[in-house]
Amino acid sequence: MVEIRVEGVKKRFGKTVALAGVSLHVKPGELFAILGPSGCGKTTLLRIIAGFEYPDEGRVYFDGRDVTDMRPDERGAVMVFQNWALWPHMTVYDNIAYGLRIRKVPEDEIRKRVKRVLQLLGIEGLEHRYPHQLSGGQQQRVALARALVVEPKVLLLDEPLSNLDAKLRLRLRGEIRKLQRRLGITAIYVTHDQEEALAVADRVAVMHAGRIEQIGTPEEVYKYPRTLFTAVFLGKTSVLRGKVLRSDGDYVLVSVGSHRIKAMNCGVKEGDVAAVIIKAEAASLEPHDGATPIEGDVTVSMYIGSYVETRIAVNGQGEIIVNLPPAMRLQPGRRATLYLDPNLVYAFPYEAEEIRELAEEA
Amino acid sequence: MRATLRGVLARLRIQLEPSILVLLAIPLFYYTLFFLAPLGSILIYGFGFDWNLILTPHYFNLAPIGAPYFVSTIHGVHILVLRGVDLGVVLNSLVIAAAVTLASTVLGVAVALLTGLYDFPGRRIFAVLAFLPLLIAPFVNMYVIRRLYGYGFELNTFSWLLSRLGIPFGIAFDKQAGVIFAQTLAFYPIVYVNVVAALGALDATLVEQALNLGSRGFKLLRTIILPLIMPGILAGAMLVYILSLEDVAAPIIFNFKNVMAYQIYYFFQSVAAGVGKPYEAAALSIILLLAVVAPLVVVRKYLSLRYYARLARGAPRPLQRIRLGRRGLLAAYLLVLPIAVAAAAPQIGVVVLAFAHRWTGPLPNGVTLNNYVQLFAMPGAFRGIINSVEYTLASLPLILIIGFATAYVIARLHLPGMTALDALATLPLAIPGLVVAFGYFVFLHNLFRATLLDPLVYPGVALVIAYAARKSPFTVRSVYTGVISTPPELEEAAKCLGSKRSRVIRTIVIPLVWKSMLAGLLLSAIYVLSEVSVSITIGALGGDITSPNHAGPITFVILRLIQAGGVVGGTQPQAVAAAMATILMALEAIVLATISKGLLRRGQALVSF
Ligand SMILES: Nc1ncnc2c1ncn2[C@@H]1O[C@H](COP(=O)(O)OP(=O)(O)O)[C@@H](O)[C@H]1O
Ligand SMILES: [Mg+2]
Repeated sequence: MVEIRVEGVKKRFGKTVALAGVSLHVKPGELFAILGPSGCGKTTLLRIIAGFEYPDEGRVYFDGRDVTDMRPDERGAVMVFQNWALWPHMTVYDNIAYGLRIRKVPEDEIRKRVKRVLQLLGIEGLEHRYPHQLSGGQQQRVALARALVVEPKVLLLDEPLSNLDAKLRLRLRGEIRKLQRRLGITAIYVTHDQEEALAVADRVAVMHAGRIEQIGTPEEVYKYPRTLFTAVFLGKTSVLRGKVLRSDGDYVLVSVGSHRIKAMNCGVKEGDVAAVIIKAEAASLEPHDGATPIEGDVTVSMYIGSYVETRIAVNGQGEIIVNLPPAMRLQPGRRATLYLDPNLVYAFPYEAEEIRELAEEA
Repeated sequence: MRATLRGVLARLRIQLEPSILVLLAIPLFYYTLFFLAPLGSILIYGFGFDWNLILTPHYFNLAPIGAPYFVSTIHGVHILVLRGVDLGVVLNSLVIAAAVTLASTVLGVAVALLTGLYDFPGRRIFAVLAFLPLLIAPFVNMYVIRRLYGYGFELNTFSWLLSRLGIPFGIAFDKQAGVIFAQTLAFYPIVYVNVVAALGALDATLVEQALNLGSRGFKLLRTIILPLIMPGILAGAMLVYILSLEDVAAPIIFNFKNVMAYQIYYFFQSVAAGVGKPYEAAALSIILLLAVVAPLVVVRKYLSLRYYARLARGAPRPLQRIRLGRRGLLAAYLLVLPIAVAAAAPQIGVVVLAFAHRWTGPLPNGVTLNNYVQLFAMPGAFRGIINSVEYTLASLPLILIIGFATAYVIARLHLPGMTALDALATLPLAIPGLVVAFGYFVFLHNLFRATLLDPLVYPGVALVIAYAARKSPFTVRSVYTGVISTPPELEEAAKCLGSKRSRVIRTIVIPLVWKSMLAGLLLSAIYVLSEVSVSITIGALGGDITSPNHAGPITFVILRLIQAGGVVGGTQPQAVAAAMATILMALEAIVLATISKGLLRRGQALVSF
């Protein structure tokens, strides 16, 4: 199993800075997700790891060996492309067999291995079809099969599921996860879908504007964001502006209008102007230990199925979005009191510029 | 930028796999040895010329004598004969080229806008008529133009028709005016197709936006549409300018020899006899080169592969045609249609002549298939056909290799200097053919004297490599468009599975772009078959058509038949030439139709001139 290290990689295209200095370390056999909004440089990073682009600065190592100056065909990192890149002039069988033929595997061995990987992915019987005769889900599986059949040391997946419908995405991501584990492949999985990243990955790198904001397990990056971006980007969040009244170790008390909200301290001190970030599931209608009450008018209440997305205007301080249990649906126009779990509320130093950008991206 | 030396070297190593080096070496080697070096040899010969002579009236004559026009009476009909004054060899060429370019541009743009922007009854007929002159019938079309509109002992067809309608006046074009008139009819469709292609690549959204802002009619045309299609106009105008400068057909047919192209051609007429003046030919070639280089620098971008590929793709949402109002319709029928008919008439006339006993007066006489029989019966004619087939078949493998290598490298290699290679690969389109022919002669005759490469020993080899150099750009453009329209991920997917570039090319690229390769090859093939400049110069060095073993290709035979007097095998030699030309035209029509229907998208075949 291969360990991947990326050190200080920078890349620009003309005036666009695609990567502003990226370092990361993927452990052997790990499924490592790179999560970030579109245009943040994920594909560029993956292409540099695969060897399709050459970094302006920085190095890439596989198992401690510098592969930066090696061609893609010398690296052994196999990529699954966002558009799958199946060869339209070849049958499914020939698409999948391609890598094995390069490795000069005997034809009958190829037959066996293609068959096995088709079974593994549940697409037996499609061998003689051409890509255009397949559904999106089938094409995706063929792309995956083509990569897996050569048992790559490194698998690079660039938004492999983004062209599929929601149901299929859900199923396939589970399968990718299972296969990667079973085959012991070191994989980097790029996605802009946070749910996908959090669900499949051993660890997640959150990327923003060509930089890595934070690396950690899904739970770490979700519950313990270290940057304003990570806090706002992950989950459904609202941002309020307030002033830090008191700091007490891990928590701070922030005054937002007439409210006093308890939040995790993410680098603020008394007197600072703070961005208070509230995850949607922080709110409940029942008072509980340590929770902060907050009052407002219900403006929107949308039934989503397992919860009701509710928007509440907090006395001239802006709106917050919270998820509430369907049983307690609040009608718009009502006044309501919510109780916020301070462990899902974060106080960061207020950066007007970045918050505006984030609001635009959202 | 901030690239370190190590980074540069690594990047080079990564990109320059052995197979890529081979592909890169092919165009560099070929274009250097068989294009730049011949042109360079001309410069060396240029030193032999006494440049003080260039300002003498033979080359530049600013005080010409003679009347530019006169009135002549033929069979009681008063004919206004337009002729022009002799300004000297150099100035004549430039003035004629400028006039032809201007007239062709006005005409081509008008017809293109009419058929491209408007819908009206008969639009398709217009479009076909305007397209017809692109089916090249070398020399014969000029011969027919002279019969239709020229000056001689008999009335031309046009004046005869007028007299039949009771109009006792006519018009005839002679000498310089004949050259200008004939070249305009023959070349304006090049502007037309380029503008049509540019209109096809015009995004409807832009025009609609202007319409929403209240832009209408001429204002819309002037402020929005014209600027957007200007590249197409410039590209077309540039090609016409070059074609006019290099054309010898019209000067030969209209008997006006004081132009540069004819003088270079004349060098080849006399060289075999040992009386050619190579230094003068070199000087004129250099002037011709200079004459195209300056405007070329300005419009180069629009002759580049990149621009061509963009045109070939067409617009995401093309323009909807507007129905023409009544006044517009009247203008179209009264002004533009007659011109389109007049310009298409020679092409139709070539076909008529091919089936006629003879055509010496206003109208052709009789119907016969004998002209086609003569193609096989006359040993010299048949030899020409065989030669052309051989030369074409021999040049196609070269064209395929050069075309693919050049196109692939330019499309996929990300190294500085690719723009220069793009320029080099499209340059053969822009260099007057006679200059190439002369360059080949001095280069091969001096460097490879008395070998098979020496055109005086055997012109065939020189012809084949010159054809490949001159006509490979059609294949380069076609393959380039094919390569850049396949997603690079298809190649990358193979690479990351461990495939070397050579295998990627063999198993992924070629199977995906073979249609573009075939289309390009077919185009190159028909343009090789109808190539004129090198064929009638280098090709003339292998004996005359009276010899059954001459080495000249079809176009050379056509020229000799056109120049022949009297009657051969019971028919007029010009009619036999016409029969030969119709075969070329048919091949051209078939290839263009096949390509635009099956192999490529529509726009691509159109701009490919
Ligand atoms: N080949 C390229 N040429 C120019 N700009 C590019 C190229 N590839 C990526 N970019 C730019 O770099 C930035 C990052 O792109 P990308 O890595 O594709 O982001 P992501 O995959 O996260 O959406 C974007 O601004 C994009 O427009
Ligand atoms: Mg991407």
